Amino acid sequence: MVRAVPPWVRGAAALFVTIVMIFILGPIVVVAGVSFTAGDYIAFPPQGLSLKWYRTVLDSNVYVQSALNSLQLAAVVTASATVVGTGMAIALHRGRIPGTGILSALMLSPLVLPTIVFALGLLMFWSSQVGRTSFVSLWVGHTVIAVPYVIRTTLAVLSTSDRFLEEAARTMGAGRWKTLIHVVLPQCLPGIAAGAFFAFNISFDEAIVSLFLRSPEIMTLPIQIYTQLEFSPDPSIAAVSTLMIGLTVVMLLAIDRLLGVQKVAG
Amino acid sequence: MNKYHDDWIIAAPGILLLCFAFLVPVAGIMVLGIKNPDGSLTISYIERFLTDAYYLGVAWRTIKLSCIITLVCAIAGFPFAYVMARASPNLRVWLMILITLPLMTSVVVRTFGWMVLLGRGGLLPEALYLMGFVRRNYSLMHTEAAIIIGMIQILFPFMVLSIVGVILRLDPRIEEASRVMGCSFLASVKRVVLPLSIPGIVAGSLLVFTLSVSYFITPSLLGGARLPVLAGSIYETATKSQDWAFAAAQSLILFIGVLILLIPYISLTRKSHG
Amino acid sequence: MAAVVLNNVTKLFGETAVIKGISMSIAKGEFVSLLGPSGCGKTTLLRMIAGLEQTTSGSIIIGEKDSTALPPEKRDIAMVFQSYALLPHLNVFDNVMFPLRMRNLGTRQEQARRVKDVLEMVQLSHLATRRPRELSGGQQQRVAVARAVVSSPQVLLLDEPLSNLDARLRESMQEELIQLHRQTGLTTIFVTHDQEEALSLSDRIILLNEGTIEQEGTPAELYGAPTTRFSAGFMGSSNILDVELVMDGDACRAMLSAEDVLTLAKGYVRGGASTITFRQEDVQLAPAGDSTCTARVETAIFLGSRVRYVVRAGLHCIRCLATDGQIFKVGETVALQVAPNRIRVLD
Repeated sequence: MVRAVPPWVRGAAALFVTIVMIFILGPIVVVAGVSFTAGDYIAFPPQGLSLKWYRTVLDSNVYVQSALNSLQLAAVVTASATVVGTGMAIALHRGRIPGTGILSALMLSPLVLPTIVFALGLLMFWSSQVGRTSFVSLWVGHTVIAVPYVIRTTLAVLSTSDRFLEEAARTMGAGRWKTLIHVVLPQCLPGIAAGAFFAFNISFDEAIVSLFLRSPEIMTLPIQIYTQLEFSPDPSIAAVSTLMIGLTVVMLLAIDRLLGVQKVAG
Repeated sequence: MNKYHDDWIIAAPGILLLCFAFLVPVAGIMVLGIKNPDGSLTISYIERFLTDAYYLGVAWRTIKLSCIITLVCAIAGFPFAYVMARASPNLRVWLMILITLPLMTSVVVRTFGWMVLLGRGGLLPEALYLMGFVRRNYSLMHTEAAIIIGMIQILFPFMVLSIVGVILRLDPRIEEASRVMGCSFLASVKRVVLPLSIPGIVAGSLLVFTLSVSYFITPSLLGGARLPVLAGSIYETATKSQDWAFAAAQSLILFIGVLILLIPYISLTRKSHG
Repeated sequence: MAAVVLNNVTKLFGETAVIKGISMSIAKGEFVSLLGPSGCGKTTLLRMIAGLEQTTSGSIIIGEKDSTALPPEKRDIAMVFQSYALLPHLNVFDNVMFPLRMRNLGTRQEQARRVKDVLEMVQLSHLATRRPRELSGGQQQRVAVARAVVSSPQVLLLDEPLSNLDARLRESMQEELIQLHRQTGLTTIFVTHDQEEALSLSDRIILLNEGTIEQEGTPAELYGAPTTRFSAGFMGSSNILDVELVMDGDACRAMLSAEDVLTLAKGYVRGGASTITFRQEDVQLAPAGDSTCTARVETAIFLGSRVRYVVRAGLHCIRCLATDGQIFKVGETVALQVAPNRIRVLD
């Protein structure tokens, strides 16, 4: 570490980081604050403290139903993205199938290409080739944008493992599939877990693809919030948003317990 | 090739998903944007976009806002990334988690937070009022400033992560060497670390720019209907006016713009990953 | 009976031939080193025997079974990798058990007993429940060896297993390897670029150069009687001189210059331009006097128990390692002698 940093620079740096952090985290804190208001309209600081808007949310059929939809969707997306992404990551890491470089660029491209273009494209494709949008169309759309995260986290873990492990397993009598199950997958586990966390989180929070591929009978939580924001926001939105943030934080803590926070951030 | 059939099998779901759920739909929309209903090629939709003052205004606003967002992210991102890179590993991880926390919350939730902060009676306008800059009941909502503030919060982590990666790979002894050779602390950051971080700053800027031109939920909620950006205009055209061909043409323009910026981004990141 | 036989095997990577037709036969219980500089093909050859690389042509027979087309898991082999390749998610016991589990050798109880025995042999019983990352380099290396010998393979393949250890540990691991080989009697093929390691461990050394066998023989043969310039250089013979050979009666003499002459052992009958070699420790220096060869000291490096000189005789630089007491100064003229039976003429 570089020493001899002037004290005023240290002070300025600490101040700067604090201000940035307030800026970055402020809106989240505000949402949480609004949710505890006792008043009837959105205000920050909140007008008195109460949990009445949480009561409203839990009593509301609309919120509960869309929350269940979102959880269900996130669960199946996590499963499919994990399976697809892990297999792909292992194949990319081995790099033996032709065109690995192009394939990996294409597989990761949903991370940087405009989601709206993909969402519109999938909507048009789905309408013309498959039929009405449904839970399944949301599942496919979310899987496409979640898979790159699983690939990235799994690749990151694989790249730090001993590259001779697979060969060693082969010389010890494990065939290709046994090697995959007994050697490669155990190596990948931390990456798969981190990837699954991201996949769940992305699907649960996703709004763009959902806006295009939703169907009237499947309302997800973010879409529900979006619609309410456009028309009649009240503090119940803050309450439901806070619950969503809470879920993310709980999952983050769980994954920290499981893997150590370094793995997720890296 | 039969030799690596197991690789093909485990990659197959990904390849199928990529082709049928990503490449074909995206290619389809590109084609739709330059095709007449009878199947012949046309540039009429693109022409319509490029000659209509309204849409040119949309494009200009998109580019202008993205430039400002990118610039602010870069200027604030470099010192932040530097502090983060030189912090203790523990602190670094926590800064990383906290700064990426907004990325892990839904875009609608984050935007809602800004709506509360920026709207009439929100903390920011109130603060500005108390300082005497604005009149009572001023609202920052539905302004370009609101879009910029909301987007910076979302895109700042991308910039920081791009730069931090590059700084962490620098040998800290380079700085010690420059200090020994007579640079003050700030001079060594400016003359040594900053130039060496340029690849990270450029990569981060390209990424932030491409992401900001394609976001639409934050701009449409914070900017409102009177300040449309390109992605929002695509959404409106597709869902409200149901003019799919024109929505496709706008997507094509957005897509090509992004692609042009992504090519240097990919070559940059590939180089820095060694 | 041969445990491993290679018949004229070749390996092409694209257009480039890495192994250019190698045949060898390794007897049961033999400890053979594949020695050579990096890029000579020794690791590729080992990986071909393991089945990790495909053989372009020729055949590989392991335990009297043609294994040329078999995948690694179907060959009766075991391999120790340079990086050890221990499975990080398994403890030491399960790592050593792994080959038995994968090959379905014996019942669960028999497997456990064999693992216990092998761990005892490498003195790791007390670490059986540790994870690999909790072990030192030397301990990891022993786990890798235990894991390789536990299934009693036809042939044990070692790919530079000592190169990641520091010098002192390496020496003690060499001794352990010799002991282990004696205890298990496993046919062993050992790849190394370190000639001293090959000399001290092997029954036989096969010296490879650019994909072909340069020379093979016992350590004493390779050390004492290199037949080519490459073998002489690689085995550490530091004096390789291009000289004129002249017959003088029945003695063959090497002319270092018009006046300086070294006599070769009886039996060499030839003349003309040739290459001779002798080791630096076989050179004797004496105060100048009546001798057939004189030289001038160019550098003298004091090494403690020995002194290394570079001397010039005629046009040739000659390296010598002197162990006796007398110390010569730079610039001094000395008498140079090499015992005739220590000088070899190369092909």
